[in-house]
Amino acid sequence: METSTEKSTEAKNGAQNKVATGKPIVELSGVTKVFYRGKEALRVLDGINLEIPEGSFEALMGPSGSGKSTLLNLIAGLDRPSSGKALVANQDLSSMGDGDLAKFRSQTVGFIFQAYNLMPVLTARENVELPLLLTSLSGAERKKRAQTALRVVGLEERMDHYPRQLSGGQEQRVAIARAIVNDPTIIVADEPTGDLDRKSADDILLLLEKLNTEFKKTILMVTHDPQAAERATVQRRLDKGVLI
Amino acid sequence: MNIAGIGIRNISRNKTRTTLTVLGGAVAVLAFILLRTVLWAWNVGVDYAAKDRLATRHKVSFIMPMPKNYIDSVRQVPGVKKASYANWFGAKDSRHPDDFFASLAVEPQSFLDVFPEMSVKPDEKAHWLEDRKGAIVGDVLAKKLGVKAGDRITLTGTIYPGEWEFNIDGIYEATQKSVDRSQLLFHWNYLNETLDEKRRDHIGWISTLVDRPDQSANVTAAIDKIFDEKDVQTTTMSERNMNNSFMATFSAILTALDFVSIIILFIMMLILGNTIAMGVRERTREYGVLRALGFTPKHVSIFVIGEALTIGVLSGLLGLALSYPVVQLGMGRWLEENMGSFFPYFRLNATTALVAVVLSTGLGALAAIIPARQASKLSIIDALRRVG
Repeated sequence: METSTEKSTEAKNGAQNKVATGKPIVELSGVTKVFYRGKEALRVLDGINLEIPEGSFEALMGPSGSGKSTLLNLIAGLDRPSSGKALVANQDLSSMGDGDLAKFRSQTVGFIFQAYNLMPVLTARENVELPLLLTSLSGAERKKRAQTALRVVGLEERMDHYPRQLSGGQEQRVAIARAIVNDPTIIVADEPTGDLDRKSADDILLLLEKLNTEFKKTILMVTHDPQAAERATVQRRLDKGVLI
Repeated sequence: MNIAGIGIRNISRNKTRTTLTVLGGAVAVLAFILLRTVLWAWNVGVDYAAKDRLATRHKVSFIMPMPKNYIDSVRQVPGVKKASYANWFGAKDSRHPDDFFASLAVEPQSFLDVFPEMSVKPDEKAHWLEDRKGAIVGDVLAKKLGVKAGDRITLTGTIYPGEWEFNIDGIYEATQKSVDRSQLLFHWNYLNETLDEKRRDHIGWISTLVDRPDQSANVTAAIDKIFDEKDVQTTTMSERNMNNSFMATFSAILTALDFVSIIILFIMMLILGNTIAMGVRERTREYGVLRALGFTPKHVSIFVIGEALTIGVLSGLLGLALSYPVVQLGMGRWLEENMGSFFPYFRLNATTALVAVVLSTGLGALAAIIPARQASKLSIIDALRRVG
């Protein structure tokens, strides 16, 4: 069963921010995820059917333990479904091996975490450059692209700063730059504003909106925050492993 | 920036722990170098033994004497260039009875001919050859006894009891590393003429120079054959084998030192392994992030092993840097001056230094294998959930 609350944000953000109606970038059919605690089976996702069109900005909400992060992990290729089919960017994740999933993540997905997860021994630019180490780009080209990504998030002048020298909001913006530096097809964000104050959270959400509207990035965001969810063009709710 | 470089940078994350680990590793490397240098120095006499020199001793034991007239027979053997003889005297300086040094009764001229690496000034040598109670001492022993050419010294005999007076006619120096610079050499005649009938005209061993080193085996056999039918049979061997047989008496100590040096490295590996494992535990979440970004388990292993290799290299180089002053300037000098008979040349050698650094680096990598494997096998989702 699938329902969604689609809400035009025209009233809030202007005419250019419309609900995406492109071809599906994410197609889940009958996806189930079962974890085992000893012999006890825990059905965390139960027959999820979901289509996310290319270019949309969707928020996934629900109480703790509802399966939001598990669903996000499946879409991001961090895990495989126990049953069902998961197609993301035309790639069937259900049948991929570990190596192919790693390649899929590096080429197709940009990650934004609640706790930023920057490496403290690397500068902002080097953190952004990290995903590019897996490409065949030259050092100079990697550096250039990392600078461009930092410019997009408004932190070019801080590129030589270490994470400890940045505020929480700035750290998250560096993490966003890291997520977009390899030009991913889809960006997944797990509680991206969870550790931030209201002002910083608004800045991050504005940035995500910008990535969606200006750079046409598909974004799937897990959040507990209704204000954050309102910034998305589509809100979905998950409860006890089922989309409602 | 590259993948291994990030691993290397990780060592700066907890500076105190890294510093202590590198220091611990360096001390282990220093201990390893000291022990290996002891083993090397102990064997230096064997390594530098002359290839054209033979030693003949009593067949039963090194400590049993042979008739003095054996030297005449040896000198007649074809292929023998020069031969000399000596007795172990066992002198002690009554002022320092616990200090050991070698004292030999020798035939001066032939002894210096057979051992040309002992260099004496011509005038001092001439004086010694003429002086029945004369002796020459190595430069290290001269310093230790506080004597110079022209002095007179009284020593106590242990194998040949009594108070023995010697004129110090000269100081010899070494032109080769293996020479013990802490010996006292004096006239064999001075010793012999004071002995009773029973002990007189006996010698401890014969040292022989051969014309050609490739003839050593033939000359060795020929010498022993001469005495085969005599009451006292002999065993002749190359100087290297002679030194080896002397070393064999200390084989238990040498084996123990060998074993301890390996144990020390094993301890170092455990220290490194513990540090790396702690680092891996603390960075579990980061490894999860890297895996999420598309890095493979192999990449994560490179991060961990790169870090361990760096600590291993730093430990090796610091240990080597510490060992230089300790071995070359401190311990080495002391041992050469005070235990020159056992360690005539106690210095850091290039092979030991290289082995220490290479082993330190290699063990660093080895210590990281288990933590690296654990890090690479982490479930991404579990790693991302890990706090701290």
